[in-house]
Amino acid sequence: MKKIVTKIEDNRMLVTLHKAFYEKLAIMSAAHGLTDSFVVMVEPYDEEYTAVYFEPKKDIQIVESGLYEAVQEFCNRVLDEQLRLDIEKRYGNIRDMIVKQAFAPVTEAQLSKELSADPGNKK
Amino acid sequence: MNEVDYIILPCKFMRCPQNRILLVNEVGEYLYLTEEEFEGLASYQLEPDSRIYYDLKSKHFLSDSERSLPSQVNLLATKYRTKKAYLRHFTSLHMVVVTLRCNQICNYCHASSKDDTARSYDMDVDTAKKVVDMIFESPSPSIKIEFQGGEPLLNFTIVEEIVKYAEKTNKAKRKNLSFVLCTNLTLINQDILEYLKKHTVLISTSLDGPKALHDANRIMRCGGSSYDKVIDKLKLTRAVMGNENVSALMTTTNNNLGNLNQIIDEYVELGFQGVFLRSLNPYGYAKTGHNEKLQYDMDDFVSAYKKAIEYIITLNQKGAYFVEYFATILLTRILTPFSTGFMDLQSPAGVGILGAIYDFNGDVYPSDEGRMLAAMGDSHFRLGNVKRNTHAELFYSPLLQKIIHNSCVEIVPSCHSCAYQQFCGTDPIRAYSQQNDKNYFGCIPTSEFCKKYKQIISYFMDMIRENDQAVMDVFWSWVTRRKYNEVRIK
Repeated sequence: MKKIVTKIEDNRMLVTLHKAFYEKLAIMSAAHGLTDSFVVMVEPYDEEYTAVYFEPKKDIQIVESGLYEAVQEFCNRVLDEQLRLDIEKRYGNIRDMIVKQAFAPVTEAQLSKELSADPGNKK
Repeated sequence: MNEVDYIILPCKFMRCPQNRILLVNEVGEYLYLTEEEFEGLASYQLEPDSRIYYDLKSKHFLSDSERSLPSQVNLLATKYRTKKAYLRHFTSLHMVVVTLRCNQICNYCHASSKDDTARSYDMDVDTAKKVVDMIFESPSPSIKIEFQGGEPLLNFTIVEEIVKYAEKTNKAKRKNLSFVLCTNLTLINQDILEYLKKHTVLISTSLDGPKALHDANRIMRCGGSSYDKVIDKLKLTRAVMGNENVSALMTTTNNNLGNLNQIIDEYVELGFQGVFLRSLNPYGYAKTGHNEKLQYDMDDFVSAYKKAIEYIITLNQKGAYFVEYFATILLTRILTPFSTGFMDLQSPAGVGILGAIYDFNGDVYPSDEGRMLAAMGDSHFRLGNVKRNTHAELFYSPLLQKIIHNSCVEIVPSCHSCAYQQFCGTDPIRAYSQQNDKNYFGCIPTSEFCKKYKQIISYFMDMIRENDQAVMDVFWSWVTRRKYNEVRIK
């Protein structure tokens, strides 16, 4: 079985993600979430895989097991991000429909009905 | 196994403690799923007659079919419009700095106040009238004018001018006009109070707790304690104006971070019905070198905040009605379908479109923080001046449009997929000033703003998930402004 995380030198880890399952946007999004503690570099690994390198920031003290756990956490995050993208692709247009309709002109009668239901608008 | 034919409606998800997945949709409705349920949902394997399927359907996380979609979109659009109602009318809060002079020199002063003899920092009559004219250009049917400083009572004649001119202007404009005076109270007297009462000017003051804690932060410019003066004048003010027309704010510094319960006790003892536990703003004197000791790590603030909330919950359960105002805003967002306008935590940000601030010289900023930054030498957020610019030039400027556009959580990296999106907001001015982001997004993973609000929202969401009835009843009492005993199920 392929190793999920590879240690390539002290304090430097590599994750390779298959392009058939993980898009650039999902990878970037998950990687961005770890930039508080790590320097993250994303680049092509080969034709099939994308490489993601992790290195703790200079001021971050982290033991090897902690680094390993953080990179594993990234793997789960990228899975979630890809799922978000997949759902967005399938049904993202519904959100646009909701927002468009919400900001479409409404009659005064409709508005005052909604306003009167909102306790924040009562003195 | 074949896929079940349902549509997943727009929502965000987040992994939570105890292997739960939080789902929040575009109108702030939420549901906690087990991992198994979430996996079933995402792989289109949920049984249509299962409990979780009905829960998801009733809260608009899924739709049975294309056929039922239009009615669900219609309903969600109405709810979305309700949630975003604060955007409907444009700027309603107008803060006017009538002077930068102050008779106190508080060690965290956000306003970077000036000596009380420096009259060149007073607003003049001509500027004041132009400020009022500009304020009434706002399309909002509600106009709240908030007098700020410095200490506004040092230039009270301009406060009177503005009240008089605004009331006169409003005879034609017929808006819902209100006034608030933000004052340290030390200069207030019977005559001023009679005037304020006559013109229904509410009072907001500052109180940092009992004497030792208050005086550690808030001292008179001439030296010495301000606490006794504030308490004396508070009594006088309430005697004339009534308790309900006077509120107070506190600021958390390293001096009082460990003593929030004492501050709460002081507020309760003085008859206030709530407190806003405010963290320190990184502007003004609070940012300058000699006051670094006032600052603290955001994790320490959140930890102190949580303990204080627990204490306030207990007070309510014992019979007192006492709220924490920020918690009430968040809980209203989470537990009700209604809109809550709160400039500091809004998407798009409330700067300029919910509130604006007019400096003593007529300069206009989208928020007080923008003005504070200018006082520190960076006038990036100056929209213009009431004497030289039109309302359109100020409030439809490319600068404000860019700020508003880039402060929508949907497009801020990391916020874009956060499940707390509907409860949270952005602070473009802090992103600019603390993280040097000229596009105002900020770097969320390293942002103190996110660190604070994400932890606090998680804290309340965890309590809501635990659903302890005695705690939930306190929350509902805050949201509905009723006493704990009134919301308890007998």
